[in-house]
Amino acid sequence: MESKFPSKWLPYIVLLPTIVVCGMFLYYPVAQSFSWSLLRSAFMGLRTMYVGTQNYVRLFTSPAYLESLWVTLLFAGGIVGLGLSISLAIALLANRKVRFSRIYRIALIWPYALSPAVAGTIWLFLFNPTAGIVNYVLERTIGISPDWVTSQPLAVFLVITAAVWKNLGYNIVFFLAGLQNVPGQVLEAARIDGASSWRCFWRITLPLLSPTAFFLLIMNMIYAFFGTFGLIDVLTKGGPAGATNILIYNLYRDAFQHNKWGLAATQSVILFVMVVGLTLIQFRTTGKKVHYGG
Amino acid sequence: MKRVLMVVMLSLLVVSGLVVAQEKTEIILWHAMSGTRELQIQRMVDDFNLINPSINVTVEYKGSYRDTLTAAQAAAIAGTGPHVLHSFEVGTQQNVDMGIYAIAEDLIDRFGIVIPWDDYLAPALNYYKLDGKQASFPWNSSNSILYYNKTLLDAAGVTMPREPSFEDIVAIGQAVMSAGVAEAGITWPTHSWFFEQWMAELGADLVNNDNGRSGYATEINLDGVEAATIMNWWKELYDKGIWANPGRENWSQARQNFTTQRVAMLISSTSDVNLTENAAFAGGWEVGTAFMPVPLGFERHGVVIGGGSLWVIADHPDAELKAATELVVYLSQVSQDIDWHQSTGYFALRNTSLLALQQEGWYDLHPNYKTASDQLAESQLITATQGALAGVFPEIRTYIVDAAEEVYAGGSVSEALMKAKALIDQALVDYKELMTGS
Repeated sequence: MESKFPSKWLPYIVLLPTIVVCGMFLYYPVAQSFSWSLLRSAFMGLRTMYVGTQNYVRLFTSPAYLESLWVTLLFAGGIVGLGLSISLAIALLANRKVRFSRIYRIALIWPYALSPAVAGTIWLFLFNPTAGIVNYVLERTIGISPDWVTSQPLAVFLVITAAVWKNLGYNIVFFLAGLQNVPGQVLEAARIDGASSWRCFWRITLPLLSPTAFFLLIMNMIYAFFGTFGLIDVLTKGGPAGATNILIYNLYRDAFQHNKWGLAATQSVILFVMVVGLTLIQFRTTGKKVHYGG
Repeated sequence: MKRVLMVVMLSLLVVSGLVVAQEKTEIILWHAMSGTRELQIQRMVDDFNLINPSINVTVEYKGSYRDTLTAAQAAAIAGTGPHVLHSFEVGTQQNVDMGIYAIAEDLIDRFGIVIPWDDYLAPALNYYKLDGKQASFPWNSSNSILYYNKTLLDAAGVTMPREPSFEDIVAIGQAVMSAGVAEAGITWPTHSWFFEQWMAELGADLVNNDNGRSGYATEINLDGVEAATIMNWWKELYDKGIWANPGRENWSQARQNFTTQRVAMLISSTSDVNLTENAAFAGGWEVGTAFMPVPLGFERHGVVIGGGSLWVIADHPDAELKAATELVVYLSQVSQDIDWHQSTGYFALRNTSLLALQQEGWYDLHPNYKTASDQLAESQLITATQGALAGVFPEIRTYIVDAAEEVYAGGSVSEALMKAKALIDQALVDYKELMTGS
């Protein structure tokens, strides 16, 4: 294709602002993280000491860090699995032509507009063991008062549920958009041929939705890894005893509470590699099976 | 002619006013006290500004102790730090090692300020003394005491002794619960601070090397009988449902559990006296106070004085350092000291203040304030009650809270404590290596 730029340099000049911004705010910090990951530090880097790969060795041999890794995987699994299936089900219902469907749709998208801190506070008010409305009702009706925030399996359950709820709106918007792009003629033709609506869903709707679902899979994974920080900080602070201490929270604790920037940088490098790896694998494998329509 | 003279005179006035205004030394104070205490600080600083026309102090609330310290470190590195920083007691070792702060005693000597050191409460000064020098100035000093709802205890037919034992707490907790007057017996935030207080009560140093005061600490004392005794009791309270868990470091939830009369007893800072009394008055019940409980068969050694102190950041011109030092000293002068004590419950730091309050009959009218002072006065002066110095205190606290949470989730006490010890010892050794190069 013939270049339409009058000068050879113009495209580079046009690209320059983006490159400068990316360099300053992405590549430089990433490079900085790599070099920091080889240091032990105190007082925001005022005092440092070169320790080579010690931080990496320690993290991968630390039971606490490996536990945090498992907690994160459990979280990601829960959030992606529950989040995608529930929001797809709701999107299918919201996609029907019923009265007030617009109002339903707005109501469903609403939670996404809340900041994680506000969402966390709402859930804390609801599930507070001594003053929460949920325990008040439970105690009045069936006489139990579970420790939602401070006992292990319940806290994990609570945070996953809150995180799924918080992201429902986002998922539903994309699923709804995807559903409205499913061509009506194809579905109608299938119906005429005698396909049940169950079969229509599995054979037509779902394959045509797969690009959306694939996109949401990655977005939810990233959300589970990084976006749930605010909720966890408000609800459980990583507790009880590390049960909700996901990798990003562990990193925050080491960087900003324990003031160990070197160790925190090492963790950010590990997270970086994980996210890059996940994205590559998913693009390679799932990419082939995703039906992009047309 | 007259008119010209007037103009000249007026402009002279304006100019001289400007000159005076320009000479004002601007001082910035960062603190970590929210709510009514923030207003109280503003009031005290306004007074200071009024009597020192050449100084103008601006106050900023910077969030939690941790946040305030982190913000100050970042600002000091960037050269835009405040003049005076309010830091919590456990930041002491870090602050000294970091080297951005001027040592308070050096400043006081340099500017020829006279301090009646003997008039100050020794435990409060001692905490912030390193290598025999006063590194920072104690300001809001407190420790933990036991609050109880006298009305609920009366209804359950039990009384609280002045110096209760661990066993008393279990018995009283069970009594109020079986009488149906409260949902749970006792509450306190899941916070390492209380564990530290109990270690001091049992006379055990938290870390080695004389609680980190004769050299960098390298080991935490979690393998002794004291740590296990405290954790076992905590677990017993949780298992029997006597202790209501307000959540990790959740002070306000703990207070709320108590002030809404769901829970009959609260262990919290002495600085909550004022707040608790107000809540009790509003709710129409009576609040009582007692010493921290200790287990039967152990000697009572006393409590560590916690809270915060004021640090002057070194990187400022002399005139500003002088003004900052004057401010720091001013805040613990007798009238400010009394005011601060009465409006919060933080200790009066001066013997003169205590004497004045006694003579006024303040302690007869407010026995709860007296409990706090007595508990401190009766504390032995040993390294355990002087408080631990460690550069990695935030980590110590994280891992001790983790251990407590593991224990009441059903884990073994010794395993949880050993796990925390391994993590903390590593952090202590790492820190020492980083500071000393070996």
